[in-house]
Amino acid sequence: MNTQEAFLGIDVGSISTKAVIIDRENRILAREYIWTEGNPIGAVQRLLGLLEKQWDPKEGQITGVGATGSARRLVGAVIGATVVKNEITAHAVGTTSFHPDVRTILEIGGQDSKIILVENGIAVDYAMNTLCAAGTGAFLSSQARRLGIEVEEIGAYALKSTYPTPIAARCTVFAESDLVHKIQMGHPREDIIAGVCRAVASNYINNVGKGKKISSPVVFQGGVSKNSGVVRAFEELLQCPVIVDENGHLMGAMGAAILARRSLERTVFDFSVKNMDFVTRERSCGGCSNNCEVICVYRNGSLIDFWGNRCERGAARTDRHQQ
Amino acid sequence: MKQQRKAALPRYGEYNCVLKYLVEQGFETQCILPPPLTRRTEEIGARNSPDLVCTPFKTLLGSMIEALEAGADVLIMVLGACRLNYFGELQEQILRDMGYSFDFVNLSLYNTGKKRDILRMLKVINPRRSLVKAGKALYDAIQMVQHLDDITSLYYQNCGFDPTGTYPKIYRKFVSDLYDARNLTEIREAYRNASHAFADVNLRKPEDPIRIGIIGDYYTVMDPFSNLEIEQKLADMGVEVHRLMNLSNDMLRNTNNRNKQAVIRRFSEYSMGANSTSDIWQAQYYAERHFDGVIQVKSACCMPETDIMPVLANLSREYKMPILYLTYDSQTSDVGLMTRLEAFYDMVEMRKKVTH
Repeated sequence: MNTQEAFLGIDVGSISTKAVIIDRENRILAREYIWTEGNPIGAVQRLLGLLEKQWDPKEGQITGVGATGSARRLVGAVIGATVVKNEITAHAVGTTSFHPDVRTILEIGGQDSKIILVENGIAVDYAMNTLCAAGTGAFLSSQARRLGIEVEEIGAYALKSTYPTPIAARCTVFAESDLVHKIQMGHPREDIIAGVCRAVASNYINNVGKGKKISSPVVFQGGVSKNSGVVRAFEELLQCPVIVDENGHLMGAMGAAILARRSLERTVFDFSVKNMDFVTRERSCGGCSNNCEVICVYRNGSLIDFWGNRCERGAARTDRHQQ
Repeated sequence: MKQQRKAALPRYGEYNCVLKYLVEQGFETQCILPPPLTRRTEEIGARNSPDLVCTPFKTLLGSMIEALEAGADVLIMVLGACRLNYFGELQEQILRDMGYSFDFVNLSLYNTGKKRDILRMLKVINPRRSLVKAGKALYDAIQMVQHLDDITSLYYQNCGFDPTGTYPKIYRKFVSDLYDARNLTEIREAYRNASHAFADVNLRKPEDPIRIGIIGDYYTVMDPFSNLEIEQKLADMGVEVHRLMNLSNDMLRNTNNRNKQAVIRRFSEYSMGANSTSDIWQAQYYAERHFDGVIQVKSACCMPETDIMPVLANLSREYKMPILYLTYDSQTSDVGLMTRLEAFYDMVEMRKKVTH
């Protein structure tokens, strides 16, 4: 084959959907970042449309597709991914490929936050927030709305402050009432915004980073890493420089693409997926009192995949699963 | 004539077969098995429980309600080393307030360490039966617990490497045999059959498989429904899953907590209640045997398990063995759990490849 192989990686998160196309040397050939807007399949189809415009078929052929992020299962089925990986592994793989000497990866996304410790290029320990979404992007955007600014402006406001207002960081509900109280007491807006950024950083370190040894170099990524206020708060709290890669928000997608490159499976990817009609239906199994919610995915009217059943009783019939 | 009584113990992994044997053979009282745990059990348990109590309380209460619905009129509540000891009283009160009528045998009331109180407990369950018979059944039940735990350990250590898919069938048959057993011969036969059948399966196991040890709170770690079948999920990824925490190891075999405390003195000098000492000891046991990782399985709001987390973090650093901390609430979806388990598996696997 005379065409070059290329690999597509898609990271579908709760808030944003990211995709990259890379070649064999991990060079980015195309990239795109859009909001998920509560519709992962629609977002991926829109995203593919945007990628197709950047993509020159003469450059090669996409022979592997990796899916990651919280909608990886769904999107993996829809686009026929060759690799479906969890976002923790994808982020670790992506980041260590670009920063081989990294020791700590901080990641704060829309709904979750994680820390990955790396030694000699491989992940040795990780933690992810449990039960509670305090201190994630969702908290920041809801507070931005309360203060009447856009979430993208938070960083610029925070950097103007010299005396960040202390805000209780333990829990989103407490933080919010503390914040309202401080606003009504007359604290300047920049100081409050800087305080919110600091609350996010210290909540992260006390919660997800609890008991983990954070050693330098530190890479900070995920949507919140675009917020310079939080970056500064981390640098102050950790007493070390915090690296924010310009492609930091794409690391999950990069990792997925790299994993697709490393796997042996190859299928030629076709952009026509973006025009197909996908429908998901939920059905309650009713075979026992577990009442498993089985999700069925249909492409152009025929069932292509299903999941959610705990046993065979809830299995739906697909061509792929008949063995 | 007084109607025959029907006793029940809330669901606790597969250990209900042991109680069934004890009650039926030892006290000649009918034993009711509550239906298997489902989402409904958790829902009705949670609805009638205090909000911030640990999940096992809610699950146990839900299972008690289902046992009463199934016709039980004597409920037996286990004892424990943490606030589980006080659960019985509260659960009895809740069930009475809900309007159920039943006799309640709260084992923790008799757990004073005095022989006299143990005899009193036996008398409560069935006053007319001979103690000799009860003693004999107790002996059999102890054998049964050990057989059950041994086969269960074997199952989870190996079923991930069984290409034929017969392991789950053998295990299910074994468990159902134990539920049907009426004497020691049948118990032993079930054990023999299962171990022979296991031995006949040709496992495809690498020389140095990925080994993960499981620790955690008494109920959540041993009850597959409560921990969303974590052992099976790991085994299906091709992991040799070890769980030292079972009734045989903790109550019959290796029970000397003071010795365990001495072994782990480097990390923790005093007991932090419940099975905290035992848990740290197990984590160290796994670490010293070069396990690839340890997973802590605990219920939300479990104090002792939360307290040992910093100790485990120290242990993890010193032995360079990753530990994954999982907190379970009454959640129904296992998507989040799968993400964490897959990531843990990937990490452990990549580490292993590099270090070898």
